[in-house]
Amino acid sequence: MRVLILLRLAARSVGRNARRSVLTAAAMVVGLALLIFSRALAEGGHEQWIESAVRLGSGHVAIQAPNFLETGRLEYRLGERAVERTLQALESLPDDAVLAWTPRLSVNGLASSAASALPVRIEGVDPRREAAFTELDEKVQSGRYLRDDDRLHAYIGVELARRLDLDIGDRFVLTAQGTTGEVEGQLVRVAGIFRSAIQEVDEGLIHVPIETVRTWLHAENEVTTLALLLESARATDPVIEALEAALGEEPGIRILGWREVSPDLDSAIRIDDYGNYLFHGILFAIVALAILNAILISVLGRRREFGILQALGLTGFQTGLVVFFEGLFLTIASGLVGMVVGFLFTWGFFRDGLDFSGMIEGEMTFSGSVVEPVIVPIFHHSDVLLSLYFILVIGTLASIYPALRASKLDPAEAMKFDR
Amino acid sequence: MSDSTRSAGPDPKTTTLAVRTDDLWKIYPQEPEPVQAVRGVTLEIESGDFVAMAGPSGSGKTTLLNLLGGLTDATRGRIWIGDEELTTMDGGRRARLRLDRIGFVFQAYNLLPVLTALENAEFTLLLRGMPAAERRAKVAALFSEMGLDGLADRRPAKLSGGQQQRVAVARAVVGDPALVLADEPTANLDSVTGGALLDTMERLNREHGTTFLFSTHDPLVMARARRLITLVDGRIVSDERTRAGDAKT
Repeated sequence: MRVLILLRLAARSVGRNARRSVLTAAAMVVGLALLIFSRALAEGGHEQWIESAVRLGSGHVAIQAPNFLETGRLEYRLGERAVERTLQALESLPDDAVLAWTPRLSVNGLASSAASALPVRIEGVDPRREAAFTELDEKVQSGRYLRDDDRLHAYIGVELARRLDLDIGDRFVLTAQGTTGEVEGQLVRVAGIFRSAIQEVDEGLIHVPIETVRTWLHAENEVTTLALLLESARATDPVIEALEAALGEEPGIRILGWREVSPDLDSAIRIDDYGNYLFHGILFAIVALAILNAILISVLGRRREFGILQALGLTGFQTGLVVFFEGLFLTIASGLVGMVVGFLFTWGFFRDGLDFSGMIEGEMTFSGSVVEPVIVPIFHHSDVLLSLYFILVIGTLASIYPALRASKLDPAEAMKFDR
Repeated sequence: MSDSTRSAGPDPKTTTLAVRTDDLWKIYPQEPEPVQAVRGVTLEIESGDFVAMAGPSGSGKTTLLNLLGGLTDATRGRIWIGDEELTTMDGGRRARLRLDRIGFVFQAYNLLPVLTALENAEFTLLLRGMPAAERRAKVAALFSEMGLDGLADRRPAKLSGGQQQRVAVARAVVGDPALVLADEPTANLDSVTGGALLDTMERLNREHGTTFLFSTHDPLVMARARRLITLVDGRIVSDERTRAGDAKT
């Protein structure tokens, strides 16, 4: 009963001191809105980096044979049975779990033309599946991407074409060690030349129809990687868990997340996250000080009121509770308003993305990822709720000290104050 | 009773007393030397009395009221409110004692600004857990008795000084306390309003048997008190029945 009275007193006080309440709340609203905005932007940026990297690389989830990631050697490949088992496991996943998947038979080799010979990464791909998976098919500089009916065609990077002096229709030889251990060559013709903007891709990657590579290297129905593209990077761990559950104990199959396949990108995102956390920490500290300051000033300015409450029969603890509840009300109200404002601000102004193209000259790449100049914010419920939770915790903590001050007031002295 | 007639300890007679103090001291530690605001006050006030405490500024009147109300700690000495010893109580029990047995009226009214007149008046009843209907009926009757009809829903800022002080008196007496401590209640009021307030308090004293102890500079209050205690430098220098008191007896 008494707690209800204290709550009512606190609510009245918050309502009565509207200007103070609004100013205090404004600090929290702006803080939380900024937090939600910056978090959504960071998430959007990270998701874009990851998507760019996984589309060019091995997907959000890569299914390979053990040791292939470390060695890149053809001897560590998935046999026909392992491929079948994995495809069955994929079918057991919910329909919307995997956006696209593509098989790859990859091998390190040599590309030789009349002009030169260079080490390359040869990827045997299913043209139709690969086109739905990668963005490389859209980066055509000349010619075209591979088609289902292509056999002895290759899609090569612009730097490789320049260094081997190749153009559309030109022939060159690929050499690699086959599954038999013999080094074997394959003549292919340039179908298209791409420009990805990533140096190592443009000078070292070649797409060839997977059936050609299988025949050439004697790996019928085998792959080195089954790459999965998911809805978002956040779905990676759940999909891995589901696949592991579906595959059971299978020593010949290794399921990798993008973090393991692209540790540099993972590190870059973690470093960026630490920067964001630091920013958020500073933001939280500012918000906490604003709340502490506003409530403390309010307590000091209302000493007489708290003295009266104690003269009328409230204990020091109960008086402190009134102040604490005031802080709590302000925090809850500001938290909810801040969440809505943050969402509306981000969604209302930047739903189509925040354009940094004016600040980036040309194309920016790192860790095998092309950084798009337009970042589209992404909201995750968990992030928004986490921000709200933190702001509530901070508001609550910031209310404790003023509440303690109020609880320790000497009522006689307090009522003498400002008499 | 002056400080020269001290009692050694609780006495069965104290049950008829509203307040009793024994060698009460309040010393504020202050530089260059401590301030002795109340010095060895021994006092008995009977239930139902109407007592004024006079003295120059700084004589210790307000400090003594604060001590009797448990709003500040005594440096030494003992205080009983009725038969309960205040000086041995912890903060929680003191708060409970104030709630149940003591009403306060302050010079500056000290209504809670966030509450209406009615809510201010019923606040102690609310804290006691009295049901709403009973609470409202009690306050309404008191407001009617005190000429506060129609003001129940007004916030303190919308009331005149006299009205605020009447609401403060209503708040002090609504819970039928054994003792009302009033610190210069008429100081901020004109003589007519102050007189009317005294009429009200006298009537409450007479009809409800509420004990009133005022601190005051106001000759009007002194004239209407039945007992006048004079404090100088924290000591009781005189304690006498007035004509009003004689007339009553």
